[in-house]
Amino acid sequence: MQERGQSALRALREIGDVQVGLSDKTCVYAEDKIQLHRYAPLARPAKLPPLLICYAMVNRPYMLDLQPDRSLIRELLFLGVDVYLLDWGYPDGADRFTPLEEYICGYLGRCVDFVLAENAADALNLLGVCQGGTMSLCYAALEPRGIANLITMVSPVDFKTPENLLSKWAQHVDVDLLTQSGNVSGELLNLVYLALMPFRLTQQKYVNLLQMQGDRAQLENFMRMEKWIFDSPDQPARAFREFVQWFFQENRLVRGELMLDGRQVLLENIKSPVLNIFAANDHLVPPSASIALGAHVGCDDYEALQVDVGHIGMYVSGKARKTVPEAITRWLLKRKP
Amino acid sequence: MTDPDTTQPRTLPFLKAWDNYVAASQILFERLSDGSAAHAGGPMPLSFIGPWKDFAASLGMRSDFPGGEHFKPEDLFGSHLPAFGYSREYQEIGRRMQDLAAQFQRRCAEFAQQGVDIGQSALQAIQKRSSGDPTMLCSPAALYDAWIDGAEEAYARAAHSEPFVRLLADLCNILSAFKIERGKLLEALARHLDWPSRAEVDSLHRQVRVLTAAAKPAAPAKPAAATKPAAATKPAAATKAAAAARKARPAILKARKRAGK
Repeated sequence: MQERGQSALRALREIGDVQVGLSDKTCVYAEDKIQLHRYAPLARPAKLPPLLICYAMVNRPYMLDLQPDRSLIRELLFLGVDVYLLDWGYPDGADRFTPLEEYICGYLGRCVDFVLAENAADALNLLGVCQGGTMSLCYAALEPRGIANLITMVSPVDFKTPENLLSKWAQHVDVDLLTQSGNVSGELLNLVYLALMPFRLTQQKYVNLLQMQGDRAQLENFMRMEKWIFDSPDQPARAFREFVQWFFQENRLVRGELMLDGRQVLLENIKSPVLNIFAANDHLVPPSASIALGAHVGCDDYEALQVDVGHIGMYVSGKARKTVPEAITRWLLKRKP
Repeated sequence: MTDPDTTQPRTLPFLKAWDNYVAASQILFERLSDGSAAHAGGPMPLSFIGPWKDFAASLGMRSDFPGGEHFKPEDLFGSHLPAFGYSREYQEIGRRMQDLAAQFQRRCAEFAQQGVDIGQSALQAIQKRSSGDPTMLCSPAALYDAWIDGAEEAYARAAHSEPFVRLLADLCNILSAFKIERGKLLEALARHLDWPSRAEVDSLHRQVRVLTAAAKPAAPAKPAAATKPAAATKPAAATKAAAAARKARPAILKARKRAGK
């Protein structure tokens, strides 16, 4: 046991800093903290409308391109998809009064406009991931005409299902008080995520390091994940407050009571085809929170895809890597205009 | 007013207490006015606080004032004495912070107790499992995994319960309130040192937000044609919009570079 530990420590010292998000991309649009990236193609184009990925604000989007052999984006590129990625950046004090509607109707909306303009297209494919999926649903409900197909991945829709621990914890938190003294730190969010499964995430995971026996590749994977997990941006105070109150505490999205930009956000307004991908063992967004989407969207062409992985496994596990990019591309090709 | 037995004037309790208080205060003032005694050091005679307490009690006021010879300056922040005097505002903040810290400690103790209960439940679960599977105890790795599984199961049961949810929210709310009070002190410090304060920066951010929102419609990266589906259906208009966007792109990137991003 001691030998294993020493071997792991030696290997960790040699690894140093790890690289993430290495696929070739160009920043095509930037505004305030946000950046819109376009990835360089890796295969003959599938001639699909461009795919805009809207990631969550609470984590960094390089999880979708963590390393060459664990990259949802790379797999999509190999399948000929033209991929754009919206990176929300690291909000700071200057963003504390920015409302949620600015992120959804403003920044996301302008990125959609930009992609459409750059491709001279009428509509694009929108892929929303986790919180980014919820935001994408709101946007698609308000601006359905620019969206050819909508894909949500591990995205919460009904925030008050019994399995949703995060939501239970949020119910009695005074978010006005929490955000009164500024942005919500990424460290606090990390603490909350760790508290969802404290024994596995703060103990077992590190004990398992010993079992890697100094395997450099495995340790590098571990360190990339570790970097991503704790690289959580601070959350802009007002947008965070609104998200927690409106979604977690009041469940406005499924109740049809959400107002953004002076307009009512009605999921029934989403008429474009929807593919809802969720993880069977998701401890952050339980399947019940995602599955609810089917009962609320207004489209006839709705499909749900369950993958037998956890929340993070959806981005990096071998099982998801083999099924998800291909399922997305196949689904999009079937709906090719 | 006289005593019916002695016909002597009766000393009312509050007058007696007042006399004692004045006498004690006199000693204090004498000591303070005597420069040599003051320079000689030694503790200030605070014996006047006891008589003051008696006097206040005789008037029906609270007698649980934390005074007397054991008086400590931090007692000023105690919950019994109202804040007063030149530093009144800071006393209030200090007292609130102290109250919040005490509340936090109490809730933390309850949280720790929850942790102990969860640990015990986990141990019971392991015992139950190991009695059914004796081979589990032969391997440290298997035992450790069983411990983690049991602990997570016990934790999940507790974490979903209403008392746990309330406790966690309380801890968060108390810390948020503490942070706000601490912010007030830092705000005052910044003012005294002539540093930009949070309130000042917030005010500027608000102004920037208003100005930015006013300027947004003119943003170069939002070609008008692209936002209008009717126009976008016309290939010429769409191509024009795409060309405009491509033209705008270097300007945006240039602006980013200027901003040091």
